[in-house]
Amino acid sequence: MKQKRKLGNFIKFMILSFVAAIILLPVLWMFFSSFRAAKEIISWPPKFLPHEWVFDNYRKVFKRAPMMTYIKNSAIFAVSTTCLSCMINSFAGYAFARLHFRGKNVLFTMCLMTMMIPFQVTMIPLFTMINKMGIYDTWAGLILPRMAGVMGIFMMRAFFVGLPLELEEAGRIDGLTDYGIFARIMLPLAKPALVTQIVLGLNGAWNDLLYPLLMTSNVRMRMLSNGVALFVGQDTTDYGPAFAAGVVSMLPMLLLYLFGQRYFVEGTATSGLKG
Amino acid sequence: MMDWLKRVRNYWSSGSRTGYVMVAPAILVLLIFNIIPLFASFGISLLDVNVLFNNPKFVGIQNYLEAFRTPRFWNSLKNTFIFTFLEVPCQMAIGLALAAVLTRNKWVNKLFRSIYFLPIICSATAVGIMWQLILNSNIGYVSWMLRSIGLPKISFLKDPEIAMYTVIFMSVWRSFGISTIIFVAGMQEVPAELYESADLDGASKFREFFSITLPGIIPTIYFVLITRLIGSMQVFDLIFVTTGGGPNFRTETMVNYIYSRAFSSDTRLGYATAMSECLFAIILIISILFYRRMLKDEQA
Repeated sequence: MKQKRKLGNFIKFMILSFVAAIILLPVLWMFFSSFRAAKEIISWPPKFLPHEWVFDNYRKVFKRAPMMTYIKNSAIFAVSTTCLSCMINSFAGYAFARLHFRGKNVLFTMCLMTMMIPFQVTMIPLFTMINKMGIYDTWAGLILPRMAGVMGIFMMRAFFVGLPLELEEAGRIDGLTDYGIFARIMLPLAKPALVTQIVLGLNGAWNDLLYPLLMTSNVRMRMLSNGVALFVGQDTTDYGPAFAAGVVSMLPMLLLYLFGQRYFVEGTATSGLKG
Repeated sequence: MMDWLKRVRNYWSSGSRTGYVMVAPAILVLLIFNIIPLFASFGISLLDVNVLFNNPKFVGIQNYLEAFRTPRFWNSLKNTFIFTFLEVPCQMAIGLALAAVLTRNKWVNKLFRSIYFLPIICSATAVGIMWQLILNSNIGYVSWMLRSIGLPKISFLKDPEIAMYTVIFMSVWRSFGISTIIFVAGMQEVPAELYESADLDGASKFREFFSITLPGIIPTIYFVLITRLIGSMQVFDLIFVTTGGGPNFRTETMVNYIYSRAFSSDTRLGYATAMSECLFAIILIISILFYRRMLKDEQA
C-alpha cells in the first residue's frame, strides 16, 4: 500500500518536473545562447551550454540600437504610469468602498463596464484623439490614458471593503477629515495591496507592446518592447543579438519576480476569488 | 487668509464632496480615454479616412459591408476562433490538472507553482524570441532533440499547416501558469471536511477531484474561462512578433488584421475601426452568453 503511494508520488514528481523543464528550457537556452559566439550558434548539433562565453552579442545589440534609450523610456513609462495609477486607483477605490455620495453605484457600474471594452476597440479613436490633441509621441500622450485602471480600482476597493469600520470611527473621534482618515489610517494599512498593484503594474507596463507601439513613432520615444521586437523578424539570420536583446528585456522583470514573487502570485490568485 | 483656506478645506471635506473629489481623477481618466473613444469608434467606423485623419468621408455602413465581402476578414475571424477555442481549453485543462496536484502549501508545491508562473514576466517579444529560435529548424535545440529521435525537419513557424498550432503552443506555455495559480487559490477554499469524509468513505483521488474539487471551484472556473476567452480573442503581441500573421495569413487574427489595416501601408482607419467593432460585438456576445450561463449555474 505504501509502495503504491510512493510510486504515485514519484510519477507525480516526474510529471511536475517535466512540465517545469518545459518552462525553464527555452528561458535557459536563450540565456546561454546570448553568450554564444555566432559561429557556435549556427553550428549543428546545437549545444545547450556555450563552449566559450562571449559578450559579442550584447556589444552588437547595444551598438546597433539605442538600447539605453529604450530601457530608459520603458523605465520611465512603467514607473510613472504605475505610481500615478496606483495613487489614483487607491483614491477611487477607497471612495467607492467607504464613502457615501450620490451616484456612487452608477459611477462604479460605469467603471465595471469599461472592463468589458477591449483595448482594440478604443485604440484607434484613442490614437486619433492623442494625435489631434498634439501630444502624440510625447510622455503626456503615453501616460495620461494610463493614469487609472479598472483592475486597480477594483482591487483597492475590495481591499478597503475588507477593513473594519471601527478604524474609520476611531479616526473620526480623533477629528480627522475623510482625507485624513484615508491618508493616515487606511493607506498605511493598504501597503500589501499597493505593492501588489505596483508589482503587477510595472510588469504589465514594461512588457506592453501594442500600446506604446501605437502611441509613439520616433526612435527617441521608443520602448524596449518595440525595440527588441525589431531584432526578431521573420527573416532574421543574426540570432545572437536577438538572444541578447531578449535577455536584456527580461532581466529587470526577472529581478522583480525573484524579490516580489509573493505579490505577483497573491495578486493574481486573489483576482479570481472575488468572483 | 488662513480662515479662507480653512473654509475651502471644510467645504471639500464635508459629506459627500470628499467622495466626488476622490473618485474624480479616476473617473475623468476612464471617461476621457476609455468611454469617449468607445463612442467615437462607432463614428469612425462609418468614415473612410486615413491615419492622419485628412479628408474624412462619410460612407455609412460601407466599411462593414466591405469587411463582410473580404475573404481576409473571414480568414482572420476563423483564425481567431481556432486560436481561442484551442488555446483556452488547453491551458485551462493543464492549469486544472496541475492545480489539483499542487493545492497544498508545501514548499515543493510552492516552488513548482513559482516556476510555472514565471512566463508572466516574459514579454511577448521575449517569448517569441525564445521559441522562434529554439524551434528553428536550423539552429534550434528542440529541433535537434526531435530529429535525434527520428522526426523529420519541421518548420514550426514557417509551415502554413503547423504555424497556428505552434503559436497556440507558445500562448499556452505562456499562460497556463496563471491559470494554475488562480485555480490553486480557488481549490484552497474548498472545505477540507468534504475531502475527509470522502476519504473515510474510501473515495479515490480521481473521484474526489471530479466530485468535490471541480464542483467546488465552479465560480473560479467560470472566471478563468471568461477572462481567458476575452483575452485570447484579443491576441496580438505574440503573433505580431513571431509570424506577423503569416505564412500566407494563416496566423493572422482579427487584431493583427485590424492593426495592419490601420497602421501599415494601406491605412484605412475607418475600415479598421469597423472591424474592431465586429470583434467587440463578438467578445460582448460570448461574454454575455457565458456570464448568463454562470449566473444560471449559480442559482441551480
